[in-house]
Amino acid sequence: MAEENLLTDEFLRQLINIGEVDIVVGLSTHNHAKTIGPVIAAIQAGILQCFPRERVAIINADGGSQDGTTELVTSATIDDLGRGSKVYALRTLHSISVRYGRTPDPCIAMQTILAAADLLRARVCALISPDSTTIEPDWLQRLARPAYIDNFDLVCPVYQRQRFEGALVRNLLYPMTRSIYGSRIREPYATEFAISGRLATEILNNGFMNQEWVRMGPEISATVFALTGKYRVCQSFLGARPPSSRSAHDMVAAMRRTVGALFASLDGNFPFWSAINGSQSVPTVGARIDVPEETTRINRKRLLDMFSSGVAQLEPVLSSILSTSLHSELRRIAALDVDDFEYSEELWTRTVLEFAASYHKSTINRDHILQALVPLYRGRSLMFVIENRDGSEEDVERREESLCADFERLKPYLLEIWADRK
Amino acid sequence: MREIIIGELTQAFQQMARDIAHYLPRLIVMLIIALIGWVIAYLLKLLVRSLLRLTKFSKLSENAGAAQLLHQAALPSSTELVSRFVFWISWAGFVLLGVSVLGIAGLQEYISRFFFFLPRLFVAFVILFFGLVAASFFSRAALLTAVNANLRSSRMLSVAVRFIVIIFALSMTFEVLGVAEQTMLIAFATMFGSAMLGLAIAFGLGGQDLARKFLERKLAPQHKEEREDELSPL
Amino acid sequence: MSLTHESGWYKHAVIYQVHVRTFVDSNGDGIGDFTGLAQRLDYLQELGINAIWLMPFFPSPLRDDGYDIADYRTVHPSYGTLEDFKSFLSIAHERGIRVIIEMVLNHTSDQHPWFQESRSSRDNPRRDWYVWSDTDAKYRGTRIIFLDTEMSNWAWDPISKSYYWHRFFGHQPDLNYDNPAVQEEMWQVMKFWLELGIDGFRLDAVPYLIEREGTNCENLPETHVIIRDLRKRIDEQFPGVMLLAEANQWPADLRPYFGNGDEFHMAFHFPLMPRMFMGVRLEDRKPITEILQQTPAIPESCQWCLFLRNHDELTLEMVTDIERDYMYDIYARDKAMRLNLGIRRRLAPLLDNDRRRIELMNGMLMSLPGTPIIYYGDEIGMGDNIYLGDRNGVRTPMQWNGGWNGGFSNADPERLYSPPILNPVYGYQAVNVLSQKRTQHSLLSWMQHIIAIRRSNPVFGAGSIEFLYPANHRILAYVRQLGKETILVVNNLSSAAQAVELDLRRYKGNILIEMFGRNIFPRIGDLPYLLTLGPYQFFWFRLRRI
Repeated sequence: MAEENLLTDEFLRQLINIGEVDIVVGLSTHNHAKTIGPVIAAIQAGILQCFPRERVAIINADGGSQDGTTELVTSATIDDLGRGSKVYALRTLHSISVRYGRTPDPCIAMQTILAAADLLRARVCALISPDSTTIEPDWLQRLARPAYIDNFDLVCPVYQRQRFEGALVRNLLYPMTRSIYGSRIREPYATEFAISGRLATEILNNGFMNQEWVRMGPEISATVFALTGKYRVCQSFLGARPPSSRSAHDMVAAMRRTVGALFASLDGNFPFWSAINGSQSVPTVGARIDVPEETTRINRKRLLDMFSSGVAQLEPVLSSILSTSLHSELRRIAALDVDDFEYSEELWTRTVLEFAASYHKSTINRDHILQALVPLYRGRSLMFVIENRDGSEEDVERREESLCADFERLKPYLLEIWADRK
Repeated sequence: MREIIIGELTQAFQQMARDIAHYLPRLIVMLIIALIGWVIAYLLKLLVRSLLRLTKFSKLSENAGAAQLLHQAALPSSTELVSRFVFWISWAGFVLLGVSVLGIAGLQEYISRFFFFLPRLFVAFVILFFGLVAASFFSRAALLTAVNANLRSSRMLSVAVRFIVIIFALSMTFEVLGVAEQTMLIAFATMFGSAMLGLAIAFGLGGQDLARKFLERKLAPQHKEEREDELSPL
Repeated sequence: MSLTHESGWYKHAVIYQVHVRTFVDSNGDGIGDFTGLAQRLDYLQELGINAIWLMPFFPSPLRDDGYDIADYRTVHPSYGTLEDFKSFLSIAHERGIRVIIEMVLNHTSDQHPWFQESRSSRDNPRRDWYVWSDTDAKYRGTRIIFLDTEMSNWAWDPISKSYYWHRFFGHQPDLNYDNPAVQEEMWQVMKFWLELGIDGFRLDAVPYLIEREGTNCENLPETHVIIRDLRKRIDEQFPGVMLLAEANQWPADLRPYFGNGDEFHMAFHFPLMPRMFMGVRLEDRKPITEILQQTPAIPESCQWCLFLRNHDELTLEMVTDIERDYMYDIYARDKAMRLNLGIRRRLAPLLDNDRRRIELMNGMLMSLPGTPIIYYGDEIGMGDNIYLGDRNGVRTPMQWNGGWNGGFSNADPERLYSPPILNPVYGYQAVNVLSQKRTQHSLLSWMQHIIAIRRSNPVFGAGSIEFLYPANHRILAYVRQLGKETILVVNNLSSAAQAVELDLRRYKGNILIEMFGRNIFPRIGDLPYLLTLGPYQFFWFRLRRI
């Protein structure tokens, strides 16, 4: 029933006009006029360069833009009516836009795009972020080709990150997804990825997207669905990670969308992940692309203040979430100076796992649990900066690997507190 | 004279015996009602206790902060308290019902008033309880939001929110109970209005710079220097 | 006897291209001839065509299938005599069929007496009839047309110890049109045939008549001067005779060949043809509509010539590299099928013998603006033999029945000028005229039907065209109009059923009448007109207001 509501008559008419395609490129937008221009140009160039013979359609699910975003997307159309006449194309390229609602909802946007891909019988659906200002034309090929040619079901990106970039991914999302679901996906929450038509159909057809936890974070949910469903997953090197949108700097929103969805996924998938030990590598295709390192100034004192103040002021909340010993350990390190600060990998790992267990048991409101994790994450990201400030890239990799090992090693601990055996 | 006294006494005793005979069955009925009421009240207590345990009511009250309050007051747990309360109210109801059988004039009115009062008492109890729950929830939410927004006076804000919500719940409770309705309403409105006015003045005059900076941050592009201080999470 | 030369007859013609050698052998020598061709004119009349384009039948060493002419004023003895030709011409005219012959202006065979004289000595009077040079350095940058066989446009002549210019094969030296004598002689050649009563000339290789240093030696202004002169003479002395240009050029470059209605009457629209094949395969009308958008308007008296296949390879000169690669990969995966930037296959094998696609392509051929040409054998879906070398695979004997040599000849099969097609799918036992005549729903019957509809509706030949651009890019739809006659053509280029909404508000109130079955379709209203089409289906609708 939800799928029927997604497709307005006008959208359906446009899909009929497009007909069967080989590749769908999906964009979810909301007032992205400032960034969408170069993105759509790169997508169009990628299609013409890398898939000139394939039937490709660009589907934009828009959440009520008022700044002309949708017009910019549809301008990528190339047809015999003179649109896109400045570029040469072997065949017609449709670029259509549909407004799915008055307010943005990433879950409905993804659902709309997947529904369109399903109806158009696309072999591959590549989703691209409208903020991807670092996108190159060959990104589309890097994402879509493994699914299109090599029959992978999910292609996750591997970004070449700056030294301190993606702290939440590197300190929580990646290690935890790896230890829980047993696959070493570097970017389990990614705004660019490709899925096969088969996987898209499965996601749509079994009501998966109507679940509450999926609505929180549709991107990471798609990754979890693929991992738990024994689909073929791979990674593909892209390039520099696109800069985060303004909402990503809202840590709470980012936490909800990523960690919240990850924690929530544990409930329904317990039989799967509880039986997994260790983790497996995932095939990685393409060549790594080096990006020039940019210097970043990080205010460590501010991070420490946020951590210490958080630990102090959230004491009644943290006492409902954490074990007594861990809570007191956090109080101890919150009192340290920035030069003496130490938030070890094991302590952080236990913190995350206890939060996950509390989330499962709903010791307090689940959203409050996520919000309470934010200041602790700040503490861990301070440690991340301190550890990696002077090291080489290999050192950074090594520490990340060590953190992952801790997550995997402490998985039995999670199982114990999950079942209240501790 | 002695015969008159004996006759009057005999008559009086006979009258008393007649009265006793007249009221005794009602008394017996009253006692039976009270006894049956006790049994029913007890069964109700057991039922309510099971229901509350099933719905994890104790957890809810813990979240509401009620559990901690009861513990500090050396009172039994909230589940036990509620089930006992149900027992006593039910039995009291049956007792009063039994008393009404006695047919004592003037008592009927008070008994019926008691029964009319019961639903309002229940509603008041519910409002208060959920008011406590809401106070706990919103104060925690305010605390978390304030901490994550790096506000200095997060605790104070959290306490203030809890206080406001509890006051609001209490005033609603009193209104439902009909206790000093107008007084509570006016007092609450005055307090609430003056708090809001105070905040408006504080923000308007005292916080105009802060407000301007807040708006600039929200509407104008963030400066590069500010961005550089933030660690990109994703 | 010549047919009445109504002006503009060529606009309403349906032309049948045939080589006399391939059609019918009447004397048992294994080679088709004019007598045999004349015997089968009833078949062509029944098919419905009203003009024949004959490929070169002149005396020739046949090293380029007759395009290397050794004598312009008679008939190759293998095909009969000049009298046989006259007889054929007369019978054709009796049946209302006009005859167009080839005239290779640009070059001759090196066996032609003119060249023999020209090369014999630098002082020979005919020396200047050809383009000679002491070096091969002149006209650098001129493209080579037969890439697979020629390395240069100059060939060394050991007899006269100098180079001669040839745009085609080395044994086909180019005539020198800067020499007035050449121009005059070629006019006399044309006049010879005109006086016999032929109705038109297909002038082969016209862009290459003139060479100039510093140019690409194609489409030069002097060429047009020559053409205009020829046209003027024809109009004065033989009114109604048609000139058809063979110029494989972009539409914009072709436009000058129409002049102001004072040069060619018709020209082949070469770039459209590969794009029709591309459009059907891509299931996208874009290649077709774009080339037609780029096609300039031509004078009212002029006409494009449309074709699907012909005696040459399916040329891919006028496409981009991406398009060429695509066409090769889709239509000529086997490299043996490729020749000279083209594909040497017949229509049916190119379309995988898919009856629906064959009908669709013929439907577009008959309904797009231009005069259609049917290559002999394509009306029954003949196959090809890519192993025969050069372009001979598409020039195999006509298949008349399932009997001896497919009914082409009584000669020993080994004596035939070319082996017939033998495989079980396209061989003459499977594909032939006789068996298709016996079947009501054969391709031949269908072709007769569509030709009849085409001919009975002048709007196809002379009407305007307006493309509709429905949002469904798999649908090619257009409206043809002539006076009050309006025809809507809708083609589904896809292998799957399609739905399309057409904006026909301009024609509101009209009823649609499907022209094959003559059934009525709903009236056009304010809303978009919804049509559904099966795979590769097309509709021709007459619009009527009642």
